[in-house]
Amino acid sequence: MIPTIGHVAVVVGLATTLFAAAAFGLGGRRGDRSLVLLGRRAMYAALALALIASAAMVTSLLTHDFSVRYVVRNNAITTPPFYSFISLWAALEGSILFWTLLATGWAALVLHRFRDRAPALMPWVGLTLAMGAAFFFAVMTWPGDPFLRISPVAVEGSGPNALLQNHPFMGLHPPLLYLGYTGLAVPFAFGVAALITRRTDEEWLGIVRRWTLVPWIFLTAGIVAGAWWSYGVLGWGGYWAWDPVENAALLPWLTATAFIHSSMVAERRGTLRVWSHLLVVLTFWLTLFGTFVTRSGVVASVHSFTASGIGAWFLGALLVTLLAGVTLIVWRAPQLADRRAAGQPVSRESAFLFNNVLFLVISLIVLLGTLYPLAVEAVSGEKVSLGAPWFNRVGAPTFVALLFLMGVGPALPWGGASWRTLRERFALSVLAALGSVGVAWLIGLRAVAPLAAIGFAAFVLTVMGEEVVRGARSRARSRSEPQPAAAWRLVTHNRRRYGGYLVHAGICVMAVAIAVSATLGTDVTATLRPGEGLTLGAYRLRHDRLVVEPLADDPRVLETRAELTLSGPQSGPVVTALRDYPSSTTAIATPSVRSSLGEDLYVTLIGYDPASGSVTLRVFINPLVGWIWLGGGIVALGAVFAIWPERRRRVAVTAAAAA
Amino acid sequence: MRSAFRWRFLAVPLLVVPVGWLLFTGLGRDPRLIPSPLIGQPLPTISGATLDGDTFSSASLLGKPALINVWASWCTPCITEHPLLLDAARQHAGELQLVGVVYVDTTEAARAFLARYGDGSWPDVLDPSGRIALDLGVTGPPETFFVDALGVVRYRHVGPLTSEVLAEQLAAIGIGP
Amino acid sequence: MRRLLVPVAALGLVILAAVIAGQLLRPAEPSSAAEQAKQLAAELRCPDCQALSVAESRTDAAAAIRREIAAQLAAGRSASQIRDHFVARYGPWILLQPADPLIWLLPAAALLAGLGAFGWWLRGGRTAGSRPAELPAPVDEVERRRVRDELEALDG
Repeated sequence: MIPTIGHVAVVVGLATTLFAAAAFGLGGRRGDRSLVLLGRRAMYAALALALIASAAMVTSLLTHDFSVRYVVRNNAITTPPFYSFISLWAALEGSILFWTLLATGWAALVLHRFRDRAPALMPWVGLTLAMGAAFFFAVMTWPGDPFLRISPVAVEGSGPNALLQNHPFMGLHPPLLYLGYTGLAVPFAFGVAALITRRTDEEWLGIVRRWTLVPWIFLTAGIVAGAWWSYGVLGWGGYWAWDPVENAALLPWLTATAFIHSSMVAERRGTLRVWSHLLVVLTFWLTLFGTFVTRSGVVASVHSFTASGIGAWFLGALLVTLLAGVTLIVWRAPQLADRRAAGQPVSRESAFLFNNVLFLVISLIVLLGTLYPLAVEAVSGEKVSLGAPWFNRVGAPTFVALLFLMGVGPALPWGGASWRTLRERFALSVLAALGSVGVAWLIGLRAVAPLAAIGFAAFVLTVMGEEVVRGARSRARSRSEPQPAAAWRLVTHNRRRYGGYLVHAGICVMAVAIAVSATLGTDVTATLRPGEGLTLGAYRLRHDRLVVEPLADDPRVLETRAELTLSGPQSGPVVTALRDYPSSTTAIATPSVRSSLGEDLYVTLIGYDPASGSVTLRVFINPLVGWIWLGGGIVALGAVFAIWPERRRRVAVTAAAAA
Repeated sequence: MRSAFRWRFLAVPLLVVPVGWLLFTGLGRDPRLIPSPLIGQPLPTISGATLDGDTFSSASLLGKPALINVWASWCTPCITEHPLLLDAARQHAGELQLVGVVYVDTTEAARAFLARYGDGSWPDVLDPSGRIALDLGVTGPPETFFVDALGVVRYRHVGPLTSEVLAEQLAAIGIGP
Repeated sequence: MRRLLVPVAALGLVILAAVIAGQLLRPAEPSSAAEQAKQLAAELRCPDCQALSVAESRTDAAAAIRREIAAQLAAGRSASQIRDHFVARYGPWILLQPADPLIWLLPAAALLAGLGAFGWWLRGGRTAGSRPAELPAPVDEVERRRVRDELEALDG
């Protein structure tokens, strides 16, 4: 019964979104607002239908309804409710359903917020969003039916993918990432609408900038949470492996970040408009590319879902989007031509532009690296790989250059700077950079990447700190406010700018943490019998005993546990385990991570011998890893600060208007 | 102006067609299927102690087609393909030689596996460290290599064997149905 | 003297950037046999996992390859001989960084194209020769934006 409701909701959802698309299209052409209203209501209905379908799926999972193939493949009677619930997005068909829910959610939100605004753009925005939602409903109607029934009804399911049910972060990382991915359809829809209606002025940029930042926050948080998940689950002591699917998440993030910067220049200087349109289209295309990569089985990856007919559908969508986007831009290129003068090499806009160039170069490098094995195979038929050593080597210098620009950009004036200005604005920060590199060197740091990261981070942070202090001082003087209050008002009255600074500060923290953890970690692998121990750095681990027993909350899972005692910093018992899931041939690691401000002690069990009770452990000291997550948090906080509505001012202005 | 109009649009197919082609070629393939460079090459020497306590060397295989099966007791797909191997050994006794490579496993566990699922009494070379598998370019059990009478590797199958693959590839190394 | 300072400073920056980039691009010299084994392992793809290197993976195959690398290094074989040894068994797929000049040329080309576009933009793009440069008056622009921002803030 319940799966049937879900299936009907999906089919009706397809019809509803197609209807909405037609209504928006006709309404836009004829300028008929009642049709547009109809389209909008249809999209609200589509959201309700997606909600019904998702609820039906969640109910089927929670009640272990083994008449549904998706439930059989991703659930078992013993699966705990939490993991049953998150199985909604843990496999192919369910994730498409969840995706549809989020996409229709964004669409409904945008259409509702803009119900009385931008009347010329909205029909086309609605059309684009409705078509996107229709595509996902169509995928679920034909090749990827999540409610497909099986007969006879199975007695027991095979349980969720082992890798995905081992860590509560699975409940957080995919929804965040998907919220980011699906949200990026909104700027794309506005870009398409602007191109169709030739309203490529600052209006769409203003809207799109804000609506890019919101999904950008989710995408950022999703990527960081994904790295954290990888660190906590995969058990290799690292957090980023340049896996194709990680790259697929990074790509739209890079281009969206480039857009957030280029839109500032476009708004201020009326320049970079073709460019901004290109970035919006490219960003959305890359989110689709990411889905295609994950769901078509084109590349092998930790995350990729099993190959299926869905791949061809996604490829079709990918090509149609590319075709439509590029054709629209080429078509409207003459209207988008910049009105502007030659740029000054040392000015804020040139720093912004150079930042865009670098972001795009990195995106291109990551895209090339991801597609390189595919291209080689298409041309020569040979299987090759391109992995972390290459990405790190090629990516590191570009990221360091971006870090440098991050400090330079905000401190340079628009239009160009004199030598005097440069000296005034950068003297202190250059000294701070040199000083911190010197201190790091004296402490004994010799690796280039962390030294560069520390130097540039100090540079950026000083530039920003100086500016806040200078601004607060002048405000305190001119309005005779106490300094802390002046500083707070300064930043809350210019949230966009100082929120951006906070984001940059978070990136600095992450950059240093990544550079340090990637180069200065140590590890040791040892086989220990009960009672034996190992020493790494200041830590000493003793192997107490090996325990093999089923998990308490899911008895089908066999846990092999090494119980250890840690002495030294953070002393106490340490447990690290391997879990054998019936659905997986290889055991899944449950590493133990002891975090402190300075470093993580990361202990994984990699082998054991039940007869003698001996275990093989791999123990890592990962310096500063905790700061990566902290930096990610600062980035998200800064972005939220930047888009937070400025209440006070609104009240003041309204009061003034009323008076 | 008009000619500029036309040329501009060339950018569209120039971008869409190669991207489409590239991604399309990837669609039909299984990215997990890695061709073995051993195909068409002589089988690397496999030698070592067997489960029965004898010693084995692949030099003895020359002259007759052989099937090298890499397996382990902890490998679930190995259970499903095991009956096929027993069948093939029985059916082609005398013309086909089977050799097992016990991949990263203990002698007791491997013996228990055979006791439970059937012992075909072909030699099982022990490879507790994975050293032999390394020479074969094994990614993980089960993997099966089809070697012809001249000692040349003709085919490698990754994952559990199916009766179709088995019949087809046995024919290719000169074993009729 | 003053006029020279900017180009000198710029040149210094470029040299500094080049040195840093060079250092980051170049793999560090291994200091010990263990270090060299680790570096080699980091360049080989773990056969039975995805996207991880042999150095990072905890699978049996990766462990076997690590042992083999150590044994071969101890027997005096060079890094490239060891790489070839594994390519002969697993195919070029095992190398995480194939010996193909394209993988270096393409990013370099991307960077050059980006720098070219940047230079083109600095020169004022296509409009440089044909139209006289007109800068919008900065103060008006800023004021106009501020007014618009206020208005936008009004309707949320």
